[in-house]
Amino acid sequence: MLLNTVIIILREVLEAALLISILLAMSRRLRVDPRWLPLSLLLGGAVAVLVGTQMRGISELLDGVGQEVFDAFLQLAIYVLLLCVAVLMIRSYYSQNTVPGGIAAAMGAAVTLAVIREGSEIYLFLSAFSADPDLRPGVLSGAFIGAGIGFSIGALFYYFLLALPRRTTLAVACVLMTLVAAGMCIQAAQLLIQADWLPAQSSLWDTGNWLPEGSVSGQLLYALVGYEASPSPVEVGVYFSAALLMVALLFWARYRAEAGGRKGERDRAASTP
Amino acid sequence: MRSIRVFLLVALLSTITLVNFLAALHGYRESMAAAQQLLDRQLAATAALLEKLPLQQVQSELPADGEVALQLWGEDGQSLLKSANTPGRPMVPLEGGYRETNFGNYRWRVYTHFSPESGRWIQVAERADLRFQLAERVVLESILPTLLALPLAALLIWLVIGRGLSSLRELANALREKRAEDLEPLQVSEPPQELQPVIRSTNALLERLGASFERERRFSADAAHELRTPISAIQVHLHNLERELQDAGLADRSGSLGKLRLSVTRMVDLVEQMLTLFRTNPEHYPARLEPLDLQQLAREVIAERYELFSARQQSISLQGTAVGIRGDVFALTVMIGNLLSNAGKYTPERGEILVTTALSDSRGYIQVEDSGPGIPAQERSKIFERFYRVGGDCHASQAEGSGLGLSIVAHIARLHRAEIQLSDSRFDTGLCVRILFPASSGTVLPGEEHA
Repeated sequence: MLLNTVIIILREVLEAALLISILLAMSRRLRVDPRWLPLSLLLGGAVAVLVGTQMRGISELLDGVGQEVFDAFLQLAIYVLLLCVAVLMIRSYYSQNTVPGGIAAAMGAAVTLAVIREGSEIYLFLSAFSADPDLRPGVLSGAFIGAGIGFSIGALFYYFLLALPRRTTLAVACVLMTLVAAGMCIQAAQLLIQADWLPAQSSLWDTGNWLPEGSVSGQLLYALVGYEASPSPVEVGVYFSAALLMVALLFWARYRAEAGGRKGERDRAASTP
Repeated sequence: MRSIRVFLLVALLSTITLVNFLAALHGYRESMAAAQQLLDRQLAATAALLEKLPLQQVQSELPADGEVALQLWGEDGQSLLKSANTPGRPMVPLEGGYRETNFGNYRWRVYTHFSPESGRWIQVAERADLRFQLAERVVLESILPTLLALPLAALLIWLVIGRGLSSLRELANALREKRAEDLEPLQVSEPPQELQPVIRSTNALLERLGASFERERRFSADAAHELRTPISAIQVHLHNLERELQDAGLADRSGSLGKLRLSVTRMVDLVEQMLTLFRTNPEHYPARLEPLDLQQLAREVIAERYELFSARQQSISLQGTAVGIRGDVFALTVMIGNLLSNAGKYTPERGEILVTTALSDSRGYIQVEDSGPGIPAQERSKIFERFYRVGGDCHASQAEGSGLGLSIVAHIARLHRAEIQLSDSRFDTGLCVRILFPASSGTVLPGEEHA
C-alpha cells in the first residue's frame, strides 16, 4: 500500500509544487509581493476539502462523468490562467509599467485551482484508505514520503530557478510554463476521453517499458511536461496545440512589449530639445 | 527580505528529505522482496513438515482458519487430505514451485512440492494480502524512524545554522549598536575566516572616515582660531580710526563706520559660534556629566542675558518645577543661551518668551517658546543644518545670526542623548523648542532634589 500511496500522492503534490516553484521564482524576479501564495494555498486547501467531501455528488452529475468533466475544466482553467500569467510576465519584464497586482492575482488564481484539483484527489484517496486500520500505517507513511519527495523537489527547483541569471530565469520559466500548461491540457484531454467526451483511440507509441509512468522519474516528467507513456493521437494533438498557442502568445507579448518600449524611447527622444 | 537561515534550512531539509525518502523507498522495495522470500521459505518448511506426517493420523478434511490452506494429492490425482477452505481440485496445477491464484474470495500464494518418498503432491498456501500486510508492517517499522526523525533533523539544522550564523549576527549587532560618532574599529570576538574581509574593510573605512572628520574639524577649528587674531586687530584699528576721525572733526556722514562695526561684531560672533560648534561636537567633547538642576541653570542663563531682552522690551518668564538631570554644565549653559538668543532674535519688540522646565513621563525637559514668526513645519528638519537660516539671509525678522546656534544645540542635545522636539508655541505665532532628556540620564525627581 505504501508504494501505491507514494506514487499517487507524489503525482498530485509534485504537479502543484512545480507549478508553485516556477510562479514563486518569477514572482520574486519581477518583484511581485509573494503574499498571493499563502492566501491561495489556504483558499485552495479549504475548497479542496469541500470538493473532496462533495465528490460523490459531483461525480453523479452529467450521467456519472461529473468528476472527470469537473477536473478537466479545472485543468483547462489553469491553462488559461497560465497563458495570462505568461503574457503579463513578459509585459512586466520588458515594459516595467504593468500593475503587479494583475500578475499576483493571475498567479494566485492558478495556484488556487491547482491546489483544489490536486488537494481534492489527495483528500479523496486518504479519506478512503486511511479508514482501514490495517492499511493506515502504510497509507500514512506513503503519503508522508510522497509529499516529502514532492515538496523537496519543488523547493530545490525553486532555488535552482532563482540561482539562474535574471534573463535566463524568464526564458526557463516561460519554457517550463509552456510545458506545464500543455501538460494540463493533455490531462484534461485524458479526463475527457475517460468521460467519452473525446474519442478513445489506440496509442501512437508506448514508452512504458523504457520509462514507466509509475516510477519517480516518470512522475517527475508527468508533472513537468505531462509525460504519457502511450498517448493517443488526440492527446498528442491537444498537447502540441496548447504548447504552440502559448509559444505564439509569448512571442506576440514580447514583440508588443519591445515595440512599446521602442516607441516610448522615440517619444522621449522627440520631446528632448 | 531573503533570510540566509530560512534558505539554508529549506534547501538542506529538502535535500535530506529527498535523499532519505528515495533511499527509504528503495529500502522498502528491497525489504518487501526479502520478506516475501522469507515467507516463501516458511511455506516450504510447512510443506516439508507435512511430507513427514504419517497419513493415517490425519483426517481427509481439516477445519480451516482462513489464513492458511493445504492439500495433499496422490500420484494418481486422488485427494488425500485438504483443508476445508480449499476447492475440490488442486489449488494450482500440480507443478513444483510458487504460484499465485484466486479462490474463496482471496488471492493466495501457493507452494507445490512433490515428495518422491511418499509419492504425494503437497500444496501449502497463504493469503497473499495477509502476507503483504505482515511484511509491510515489519518493513514500516524500519522506515518509520527515518520519517519521524525529519522534524528532529529540522530542529537540529535550525539550531546548527543559527550557531553558524552567530558571528554574522554579532557583527550586525556591533554595527547596529555603534553610535554615529563612534569611529573606533569593530570588535568581533574570534571572527570566522569568511567574515574577516568584511570586518577588515569596514574597519579600514571607519579609519578613513575618522581621519577625514578629524581633518575637517581641525581645519575649521584652526581657521576659526586663526581668524580671531586679525579680527581683534581690525577691532583695534577700527576703534583707533573712529578716534582719529573724531579728533580730526570728521563725522561719519555715510554711516560706513557704523556698518563696519556691525559687520565686525557679526564676524566675531560667527567665529566664536564656530569655535563653540567644534568644541561641543559630541565626537570629541570631553563631557563631564554631573547631577544638576535644569531650572536653576535656566534661571542663571536668563539672569545673565536679561538686559538683552529688556532692551527690546520683551517679557521673559520661567515656569515649571525643578528638574534634576545629569549633564555638562558648560555645554548646557551654551545650549540654553543659544535657545534664548534665538528666541530673543526672532521675537519682535514687546513680544513674549516663556521658558519651562518640567517632567514628561519621568523624562526631564526644558522648553523655550517665543512669539516670533515661527517656522513652517516643512522647514523644521533643516534648521539644525550648519549655516541654515530660515528664508536665507532675508529673514522677515531682519535678525542677524550665524546660522550655527541650533547646530550647536543639536550637538549638545546629542551629547546628552536628548531628543529635540519642535512645535508651535502657545502664543498666536512662534516656535516651541523642547529638549527632552532621557530617563536613563539619571533624572532626579524634584522632591528628591530638594530633600
